Amino acid sequence: MELEFQQLLPAIAGMTWQDLVMIAIGLILIYLAIAKEYEPTLLLPIGFGAILVNIPFTSAITQIDPATGEMVEGVLDTFFKAGIATEIFPLLIFIAIGAMIDFSPLFRNPSLLLFGAAAQFGIFMTMIFASLLGYDLREAASIGIIGAADGPTSIVVATRFAPNLLGPISVAAYSYMALVPIIQPPVIRLLTSKKERQIRMTSAGNYNMKISKTSLILFPIVVTIVAGIIAPSSLPLIGFLMFGNLIRECGVLNKLSLAAQNELASLVTILLGITIASTMTSDRFVRLDTLLIIALGLFAFVFDTFGGVIFAKFMNLFRKDGNKINPMIGACGISAFPMSARVIHQMGQKEDPYNYLLMPAISANVGGQIGSVIVGGIILTLVPLFA
Amino acid sequence: MIKLKRNILFVVAILSLSLTACGKKIKNPQLVINEVMTVNESNYMDEFGQRNAWIEIYNNTAATKNVGGMFLTTDKNNPKMYAIPLGDVLTQIKPHQHRLFWADNEPFHGTFHTNFKIDPTRETYIALYDVDGKTLLDEITIPAGMEADRTYGYEIDGVKYDNSGNILAKVLDRATPSSNNQVVGENPKIVSLKETDQEGLMLTITSMLVVFVGLILLFLIFNTIGNTASKMSKKRTDKKSDPKNVEISSDSSITGDEIAAISAAIHELMDDQHDVEPSVLTIQQIQRNYSPWSSKTQTLRRNPRR
Repeated sequence: MELEFQQLLPAIAGMTWQDLVMIAIGLILIYLAIAKEYEPTLLLPIGFGAILVNIPFTSAITQIDPATGEMVEGVLDTFFKAGIATEIFPLLIFIAIGAMIDFSPLFRNPSLLLFGAAAQFGIFMTMIFASLLGYDLREAASIGIIGAADGPTSIVVATRFAPNLLGPISVAAYSYMALVPIIQPPVIRLLTSKKERQIRMTSAGNYNMKISKTSLILFPIVVTIVAGIIAPSSLPLIGFLMFGNLIRECGVLNKLSLAAQNELASLVTILLGITIASTMTSDRFVRLDTLLIIALGLFAFVFDTFGGVIFAKFMNLFRKDGNKINPMIGACGISAFPMSARVIHQMGQKEDPYNYLLMPAISANVGGQIGSVIVGGIILTLVPLFA
Repeated sequence: MIKLKRNILFVVAILSLSLTACGKKIKNPQLVINEVMTVNESNYMDEFGQRNAWIEIYNNTAATKNVGGMFLTTDKNNPKMYAIPLGDVLTQIKPHQHRLFWADNEPFHGTFHTNFKIDPTRETYIALYDVDGKTLLDEITIPAGMEADRTYGYEIDGVKYDNSGNILAKVLDRATPSSNNQVVGENPKIVSLKETDQEGLMLTITSMLVVFVGLILLFLIFNTIGNTASKMSKKRTDKKSDPKNVEISSDSSITGDEIAAISAAIHELMDDQHDVEPSVLTIQQIQRNYSPWSSKTQTLRRNPRR
């Protein structure tokens, strides 16, 4: 009788508690995406994919056919090999992101670009911490890159250095990006006084300055060349981002620009989310490691915020009264765009309703996007030398 | 201005100091006679299946060098002993690459076969002269009585002198014709870093520095482009608002009433242009075949309301 049951409903018979945990995680991710609107474009496909791959004997991923003993390749594994292992999906997303970014706020206040470097501090702190916890340097770097707050960069680095950790790293990266409004404010409040949070930045930049079309066209080309000279390994990342931006700014490819912003972004996002979920099988995910990686991801975000705020305070030591930077702006140096800038603007308004920090915050946030991509490239270059 | 001068003087002083410091160190030649085998019994064979003495020349620069037209010799008094033929593309040695010459006295065997032989029983002087036959590019003296299949040259390719200016030529452990004299498997600096920096602290510092440098460079680019753009737009605005460029009518005979009348006429004219609309009215029925694909009621349901 028992044998018959196994033959009739092998999925139920083969279900383990780990599979059930993963299905529950999938449901939670779907709930968070729909009810709380936490990065729904990514968390919903990931959540659904987590259910899809954790039903025993699912053909969505590669399985050994119990009847014949032959390996049957699942569609999600095919997608993974074609899109993630080759880094095509994240790089296509970079084109879409590039087409969406307007770099003109940076022209109005270029000094805020430096926060894009300072707020990457968490990546490296987490990397060191993960190394001390026993992860090898490649895995530690992949965990640290969660702090870039940049999903595609995290996926590219994790695919290269720690494909076994891709699932938890992607989930952590996208979840924390959605949780920026919850993670950043307490850290900022801890590091700044009320007086500092009330600093107005009206003189920080010329926000009415008109940026010429030539400057905006030249920018992606120059950035690609400069970043390429400094870190050639970052070229696929920064190159695709800037290519997308050039399509946007050139003015003669509006149709392509719109296609990149809408159709390309939507299509690849659908495939990216559900394909990442193919790595979230219970045997890989239900482990102490996953919890540790998720905790380290939080650590990375906290130290990113710390690095940015402290750097702003450091810069203020050399600035005259009336020209000081609101230290909260430093926290926008992460890549979570425009979430981080919006959070800081709202925090500023809470302290002083007439303080408008949105423009400088956006500038720093755009700097964070460039910074995170450069860091991704540097990690791809340096870690193989050290590890 | 004084500050600028002081800065320039400082930079010049630093540059001259560093140049003086550099000047003390003897430079390695650009083309080095890198490795020589005088007795070839069971070593490298030429394209005719013969084993002879060989001379390896190494391009010590980052640019391709053409040795065509240069001279190889074993006699100090006859620098033009063997003229390396011109017009052979193979005489171009790529950066940090080697070219092998056979000292077999068979010049008709090809470009890389010299018209002299080496006598291993005697000390042998070998020199490479530039195309003028006068400028000595490099020289080496091979001791007499070299063992068979052993080579004489430099342990590290192209490194002829040590810091004190001593020549580093010696009998090498292994013969490496047309390849590196020292096989470098790992970079010693990276090996030591791996041992001393297992947690990646150095990696962190290096990476943060690189990111900062990169973003500072971008900041400078942004700043320059931004400033130039604003200056240019200001110039343009100034030019437009320049009183010289505005033509003011000196005809004061037009009264205010006349100006008002002209304005009204222009206004009316502009308004009139919109009287005829571009649409076409027709009573003919538009042919539109029914298809469930084009019927909205047959396709998607409405999006759920939140």
